[in-house]
Amino acid sequence: MTQLVPEAAAAEPEGTVKIRIEGLKKSFGDLVVLDGIDTTISKGEVVCVIGPSGSGKSTFLRCLNKLEDITAGKVTVDGFDLTDRRVDLDKVRQHIGMVFQHFNLFPHMTVIDNVTLAPLLTKKMDKAAAEKRAMELLGQVGLAEKANVKPATLSGGQKQRVAIARALAMNPSIMLFDEATSALDPEMVGDVLQVLRDLAEGGMTMVVVTHEMGFAREVASRVIFMADGNIVEDDTPSQVFDSPKHPRLQEFLSKVL
Amino acid sequence: MRAESASGEGIAGAIRSPQRLIAAAVALLIGLFGAAMLTPARAAADGETYVVATDITFAPFEFQDVDGKFVGIDIDLIHEIAANQKFNITIKPLGFDAALQAVQANQADGVIAGMSITDERKKVFDFSDPYFESGVQMAVLDSNQDIKSYADLKGKRVAVKNGTEGAEFAQSIKDKYGFQIVSFADSASMFEEVKTGNSVAIFEDYPVLNYGIEQGNGFKTVTPKEKGSSYGFAVNKGRNAELLAKFNAGLKELKDSGRYDEIMEKYLGEGASEADNSFFGLLSSTFPFLMAGLKMTLILTVVSIAIALVLGIIFGLCRVSRSIILRAIGTTYVDIFRGTPLLVQAFFIYFGIPTALGFQMTALTAGIITLSLNAGAYMTEIVRGGIQSVDKGQMEAARSLGIGYLPTMRKVILPQAVRTMIPSYVNQFVITLKDTSILSVIGIAELTQTGRLIIARNYQSFTMWLIIGIIYFIVIMALTKLSDRLEKRMVK
Repeated sequence: MTQLVPEAAAAEPEGTVKIRIEGLKKSFGDLVVLDGIDTTISKGEVVCVIGPSGSGKSTFLRCLNKLEDITAGKVTVDGFDLTDRRVDLDKVRQHIGMVFQHFNLFPHMTVIDNVTLAPLLTKKMDKAAAEKRAMELLGQVGLAEKANVKPATLSGGQKQRVAIARALAMNPSIMLFDEATSALDPEMVGDVLQVLRDLAEGGMTMVVVTHEMGFAREVASRVIFMADGNIVEDDTPSQVFDSPKHPRLQEFLSKVL
Repeated sequence: MRAESASGEGIAGAIRSPQRLIAAAVALLIGLFGAAMLTPARAAADGETYVVATDITFAPFEFQDVDGKFVGIDIDLIHEIAANQKFNITIKPLGFDAALQAVQANQADGVIAGMSITDERKKVFDFSDPYFESGVQMAVLDSNQDIKSYADLKGKRVAVKNGTEGAEFAQSIKDKYGFQIVSFADSASMFEEVKTGNSVAIFEDYPVLNYGIEQGNGFKTVTPKEKGSSYGFAVNKGRNAELLAKFNAGLKELKDSGRYDEIMEKYLGEGASEADNSFFGLLSSTFPFLMAGLKMTLILTVVSIAIALVLGIIFGLCRVSRSIILRAIGTTYVDIFRGTPLLVQAFFIYFGIPTALGFQMTALTAGIITLSLNAGAYMTEIVRGGIQSVDKGQMEAARSLGIGYLPTMRKVILPQAVRTMIPSYVNQFVITLKDTSILSVIGIAELTQTGRLIIARNYQSFTMWLIIGIIYFIVIMALTKLSDRLEKRMVK
């Protein structure tokens, strides 16, 4: 299934810094949600972000493509400083796919139109080529036969796989997953995680906010544990899950495992 | 009649000078889509066409006959004088107040509307020689045996028409005879007031009373007429002196030739009309005019609501914008047009702006601009509500794909917003359709105005308003049903 990952993304050398986060702070009014985050995410890494609810994981993820305004600090993606007003955010976002907890498919369009909309609008791709690529991607996520239905007729798991295909249609080099399986019925989770696994194996750079500890342990190259707006631990899955150092992490794992 | 110029001059006067700033601001808006429709100010010269404004419902001086043609003493006189003096005229039936304002705004070159020559009016108009000697008279219902003199009015109510000499005369004697005055905007309502028994008598110029009585309106006169003032043709102060001179010369020739007396005899002489005033009789005799009026109503509605939709989308996008300046623009627009009455907007756009900026526009243009801007303000709120009803995640998903803000609006947000907007949009359509009736004040011959014209001729207000109400009802019900179907199909 390496076809899932765009060639350009796969071709970049391992170890290139894709995202650099420096002193990232985010507050909503008086409420401080991110209190100075520093880390880097390199090409090919699969970084799973775990932590209790309210720890700031989703906000952190949404700062990486600037869906949230950044209060202080700097986020640099592929060398573009997102806090610099001169940077064309649309252009940067075209290289960062994002998948949401609630799918956010466009309900007034068919599945294939959902997938081709962004390539047609932003890349001036011709319709036939865009649809060919869309059908490939839908085939990869196992939904080719659903191309011409409206999203309302799909199950949650199917919707999320369409959403992943939609994000991949832009040939991104980074994928962000915001609790992509949290809104799914348990029997749907497996299909979606399988797609993520395929992507990871293909070398896609991924940041995955998740509650699926098993998935994190198996697929992640690095696990970040967040609490109270800070990164508390940042290590390999085996270190994080088998010998947690920080009491907050120990407490968290004792509850979820 | 119409000695007190407060209503006529007052509105135009108030608009004229102090509000140029607002005029300029609104004109800017209008400039968006109005520029092409405006006609430049004209300089009238020999042999050229003059625009003459007049009242619409002042039989026998001006009224529509059964064929929908404007006739009456004033109309015949001005046509004959024009022919005699070899110039062309375009008659603009606007209503009395509006006719005076049109001349002051230079939207018309002159006004002939049974207009009394008074010192007050001489300050703002130049008058011709008098062409008619009038006088106020009292009228009561035929069946009324109690009122035989002014003294019998004690403790009763009396109906008058705003700004008329009848009103002024009633005012001057009301304390002496101890009666109350109720004012109305048009003659038909004044007559109706007495017919329903709310008031017992009316004061009006005698030729008007006599004409109505001959049409069988059920009134009679019981007192002699008061000595009255003279009617004159008027132009804006200091303008169109040559038109005034031609009028005077033509009037003299008509009087000398005896043609003047023939016109007077035609309208003031005996000869009551025989007409079928039953519901179906009136319906069939007035149907073609009502349909023409309805057509105008629908044209106004459809064109205005289409423009309003465009304005609504533009300003609605402003309202949900992240830019504080754009939001302020959207809010200001909505506040201005929701915060002022449509009637005031119509007067301001039709009379105020052309006066302040020195150009002319047709009543239809002004009407469409007014309705569009007004409905546009409500559409703005409908569009805003529609956009805000779309889940925030839709915007985020599209933006995260790298689609720009406006393309996202166009392809993702608005198509979904439209679904929730449809019921409100249809509602606004119906409101705008009904609001067109307000434009009758600037003389647009839509359905309501058509009704007023017909009633001014035949005095059958109850039946005519019933017919007109039924027409509005049928059209609006049909549209509502149609939109219900449309809605069901779109939501599928």
